Amino acid sequence: MDFAWDETDEAYRAELREVIADLPRDWWENYAPHGPASPQVMDNARGFNAELARRDLVVRHWPSAYGGQDADAWKQIVISEEMWSLGEPRSSLYLGANWAGPAIMKFGTEAQKQKYLRAIAEAKLLWCQGFSEPEAGTDLGNMKTRADPVPGGYVLNGSKVWTSYAARADIMFLLARIGGKGKGGVSCFLIPTDTPGIEIRPIRGVHSEWDFNEVFFSDAFVPSDALLGEEGNGWAIVQTIIHYERIGAARYEKSARGLDHLVGILKARGQWDDPVCRAECAAARSLVEAARLLTYRVIDGRAKQREPGAETYLARYAMIEADHAVANITSTWLPDLLIDGADGHARAQFNSAITAGIAAGAAEVQLNMVSGRHLGLPRGA
Amino acid sequence: MDLDFTPEQQALLAALARMVDDNCAMPTENGVVAAVKWARGVGLECALEAGGFLDVALAEGCGALEAALLVAECGRSPLVVETAGSALIGPLLAGRSLSRPVAVARAEDLTRGVRFLDTAKTLIVLDGEDAVLLRAGDLDVIPLDGPYAWPLGRLATGPDLSSGERLAGRGAELERLWRLGLALEAGAALRAAIDFTNDYVKQRMVFGRPVGSFQAVQHRLSIDAVRAEGVRWLALKAAWSGDAADAALAALHAQRSILQVVYDCHQFNGALGMTLEHALHFWTFRLRWLVGELGGWSRQAASAAELIWPDASAA
Ligand SMILES: Cc1cc2nc3c(=O)[nH]c(=O)nc-3n(C[C@H](O)[C@H](O)[C@H](O)COP(=O)(O)OP(=O)(O)OC[C@H]3O[C@@H](n4cnc5c(N)ncnc54)[C@H](O)[C@@H]3O)c2cc1C
Repeated sequence: MDFAWDETDEAYRAELREVIADLPRDWWENYAPHGPASPQVMDNARGFNAELARRDLVVRHWPSAYGGQDADAWKQIVISEEMWSLGEPRSSLYLGANWAGPAIMKFGTEAQKQKYLRAIAEAKLLWCQGFSEPEAGTDLGNMKTRADPVPGGYVLNGSKVWTSYAARADIMFLLARIGGKGKGGVSCFLIPTDTPGIEIRPIRGVHSEWDFNEVFFSDAFVPSDALLGEEGNGWAIVQTIIHYERIGAARYEKSARGLDHLVGILKARGQWDDPVCRAECAAARSLVEAARLLTYRVIDGRAKQREPGAETYLARYAMIEADHAVANITSTWLPDLLIDGADGHARAQFNSAITAGIAAGAAEVQLNMVSGRHLGLPRGA
Repeated sequence: MDLDFTPEQQALLAALARMVDDNCAMPTENGVVAAVKWARGVGLECALEAGGFLDVALAEGCGALEAALLVAECGRSPLVVETAGSALIGPLLAGRSLSRPVAVARAEDLTRGVRFLDTAKTLIVLDGEDAVLLRAGDLDVIPLDGPYAWPLGRLATGPDLSSGERLAGRGAELERLWRLGLALEAGAALRAAIDFTNDYVKQRMVFGRPVGSFQAVQHRLSIDAVRAEGVRWLALKAAWSGDAADAALAALHAQRSILQVVYDCHQFNGALGMTLEHALHFWTFRLRWLVGELGGWSRQAASAAELIWPDASAA
């Protein structure tokens, strides 16, 4: 048992930090607090990501055949720690690198692999995820968006909601139904967001003005090769994605660095003399570090090519708790930092913390999975 | 990073697991399991002693992590065994093996209540910045009883620490090891209490279905499991790193988690869980003591805060 990063991890981190050093000087003031889906961050990401790609930093852990360097799975969490802790300057490139890519690697045709995996490694595309619908959030199998087969492809009709990044993304990882009911018939598509017949409307959020979108499909035609995997095999693909999606973004690192930042301010303001405040900061840190270790356990399994299991959900729930604990420090002792323009670092942590228990699956759903897979409890009524 | 145990550590764990399982029979009274608050794992202690396991921390190629595995593995037994003082804190503090059992106490707690003080051969005292090793056999100890599943005792009169071996300036090291031991013992008991409760809610039927099929039960037990796993991994990391902040965080997370888990486990075992015949209290009443040891969570939190964000680093 060894908890130390190896030299290649450290070297990778150092290389990433060289690119990070070139982020705009007012990153925390004018970029991060608006969220990774904001025009500010997404526009900046184009150049930032190109530099990552130029240095071969985007997907070190992928096979060299698809633009990686055959490195181990730890590299994925190294880049995630460095990026997520800053409010994700890659914007939704991370989504391609974290889970869309692995799904394509597992289920895609060779042509799709060459096209999309290369594009991710070269940081050419910003992604979005079209899963949720008005009547299908937690109950994703209730989705209604249709993909009707026509000669040469499919015609899409229906709508998606909460689709982060959609307004500025290049490509959508879409779930649509080719007939069937519930989980049957669900199919995956990779579609350009500028496909005729797709309309994207933003929805303002409490955590970000720019994150949410509604996406409407009106007789939008996509060619046959937009289908990922087989028709009706989407649910199996989703099951694979889930593990990579839930344990991919290093939320704990954003909380850890956010907490360090808050403690600096508490000290400067003389509030560090309050023993209750100090104790709660330490307690938040213990939650953050627990979440970190539970995440590392998942990555360790990934590095050893083990089938993912209940650890994913334990770690995800721990991250949700940790995120909230740090945000609660801000709310309780430093509420003024959340005022617009006051402190972008605190605001960025807070904004993502308050969505942590809903995005990428509700906290209660993670607990359902812990109940079933870790504790082996019978399904609830 | 590699979070698997080495083959040697796996072999150690397997040997320990066998010993724990082979020595978990509860004492009986008139042919039935005795309704007792706690029972000492004499057989397990003898097996550990005979196999030289309690000195594992000092063995070639071994150290705190191996001792930690021992403390955690033995901690899942329903029977009480003294391992943290003997196998972890004592040897790593003194650099040699100490007469066993080993009790560990803060000076101010000696006349209030200390685990294992009634039978201890060595007493390790945290006395300000120092650690003091005392031969415990000669001390005038009053055994204590309460809602706790540990053997407890207190000194009849204020302690005379002058007769002990004073390890000047080693108080912080003692505190680190103690926190680590506490987190390991708590982590093991948390898991055992949750496992025990998990088994119970799967077979206890209400309204024609298992108690464990209700989401209100499932979610609380799942949150408890997240906490217990977190404690376990924080403790393993702290054993590996030897870092004082890691140990403080592990003990803090344990003590912050204990009361919720204890409450939930008792709740889900219903009235049966309130009886001495049901084994739950062997772990929960251990946890009830551990939650307050070393000054309780606020004390671990204060130390963790000072270690992680030292005052000198004030912005
Ligand atoms: C910031 C953010 C970004 C998002 N980005 C995207 C995106 O890019 N693409 C995308 O497709 N989706 C996205 N989502 C949507 C997200 O996946 C859904 O919000 C989530 O799956 C929950 O669905 P819902 O909001 O419809 O909640 P519902 O399904 O209506 O559930 C509401 C609440 O009910 C409870 N609940 C539901 N089911 C259960 C159950 N079985 N047991 C116990 N309690 C339950 C939970 O507390 C849950 O939060 C995003 C959401 C957020 C908050």
